[in-house]
Amino acid sequence: MGELVQLVVSGVATGAIYSLAALGFTLLWQASGTINFAQGEFVMLPAFAMLFCVLAGMPLWLGVLAACAAAMIVLGWGFKRLIVDPLIRHGVIPLVIATLGLSTFLKTTVRAGYSAEAHQFGSPFPGGVFRIAGINVSWADVGTLLVAGIIVIALQTFVTRTVTGRAMQAVAQNTEAARVLGIDVKRMVLYTFLINAVLAVVAALLITPTYLAKFDMGDSIGLKAFLAAIIGGFNQTRGALLGGVLIGVLENLVGFYVSPAYKEGVALMLFLGVILVRPEGLLGKVEERKV
Amino acid sequence: MSAAERFLEVRDVVKHYGAIRAVDGVTFTLAPGEIVGVIGPNGSGKTTLFNSILGQIRPTSGSVAFRGEDVTGMAPLELARRGVGRTFQTLQVFGQLSVRDNLIAAAQEFQGSMIRRMFAAPDAGVGRRADEMIELFRLGHVADLKAGTLSYGQQKLIDIAMAFMPAPRLVLLDEPCAGVNPSLVEELRELLVTLNRTQGGSFVVIEHNMDFIMKLCPHVICMVEGKVLAEGVPAEVQANRAVLEAYLGN
Repeated sequence: MGELVQLVVSGVATGAIYSLAALGFTLLWQASGTINFAQGEFVMLPAFAMLFCVLAGMPLWLGVLAACAAAMIVLGWGFKRLIVDPLIRHGVIPLVIATLGLSTFLKTTVRAGYSAEAHQFGSPFPGGVFRIAGINVSWADVGTLLVAGIIVIALQTFVTRTVTGRAMQAVAQNTEAARVLGIDVKRMVLYTFLINAVLAVVAALLITPTYLAKFDMGDSIGLKAFLAAIIGGFNQTRGALLGGVLIGVLENLVGFYVSPAYKEGVALMLFLGVILVRPEGLLGKVEERKV
Repeated sequence: MSAAERFLEVRDVVKHYGAIRAVDGVTFTLAPGEIVGVIGPNGSGKTTLFNSILGQIRPTSGSVAFRGEDVTGMAPLELARRGVGRTFQTLQVFGQLSVRDNLIAAAQEFQGSMIRRMFAAPDAGVGRRADEMIELFRLGHVADLKAGTLSYGQQKLIDIAMAFMPAPRLVLLDEPCAGVNPSLVEELRELLVTLNRTQGGSFVVIEHNMDFIMKLCPHVICMVEGKVLAEGVPAEVQANRAVLEAYLGN
């Protein structure tokens, strides 16, 4: 029993990281109809940015802040202005192809320009474990859950309890009505891209100590975040949280009780199961679209 | 023409879609506080005229001036900042927000600068006004419910209340009675009269409910095939033979 609880706690912590990246998928989709298949690389780039800062002698917290600033400019504002804005008027498919291309470009650039090797990345949390009610819990898992929880609660509070958050919700729910009511739709969409960039930095901070900083580290987290968003419901931020945690927990359980070889296939199997039974996702709502 | 009459000046507006002339040289003016009704059979260009006035589409030719300023093709965001609001034929409420939050969202963008709004109280300083509108539209019992869970008629009332939240100078109402229970229609008319009297805004109303529009609007325009077929006081327009033929056929 203690073993099971340990696996669940550890799985929830890993799933929380998937959830952060998945949140980015749902936020961009709701605000602007963008599906970003370079989301995994949006996690990989800040990992290298933070690594660069630390190797340059900066403390990690300063590296995180610098990575946040750089990510907001490059992965938030730059991505929106250079790729999304010119392509979104042509529909979703050109943007999907462009972000797939961007994913390859970013990976290749980091591999060619920096290194193909995996680099150690220090954990922001203390090492070791502690025992509580007969269960071993690692400080890294507790720290990961705390940071992810704080980010999610802060984001939810911002979106539901502030004037700007309400305007962002309005844009996500009905862009045309929001525009007529004087809401600056472009600005609200930009805020969403900036938030996505910050989420990517936090996900990078939490996952890189395990995945190591490597040019292709985004492949796995990008795919799992995308599947988590679909499993939970692409049009629901709560769905992204649920989807991420479900994948994290099931991966741990399958890896331990069945075989580690099947661990990487869990997200895909769960995705197939959900999409067959409930195509809109576990918490998703069926959307009507004008054709 | 006096300055008052030039409050809204729509001059020779034309909108083509290929060979189709959806709006074909429409001209009319609106004075401050005036309510004008626009009637006409389906496909006569009424909503296209609204969209042309509100910058949602750019007219092929012609001009729209609001309070002496040329606003032809101006973006809805800019028009909203000048005090122009609208409702749509179809519901445009934010389904996942509560009724009260819908009303606040409709007015919050007019409360100071962007920075000030970012750090403003959650109700953006318009909570009291939202409560007044909730009371006026008798939505108190559903104020905290998500708008998307309410009946069509209730959502229609929210839609209209949202258009009036920023106290606009001009509101264009596109079929406010569509889908509304007949028992609510008279109540809706009284609400609009009250808003016109208390807020002093001008309204342009598209509607198929003749009884509603004849009672609400002192001036009525009838459009057919993109053109103004007749205009004047309701009784005149209603008695106009060409209007009757347009509605009933030859």
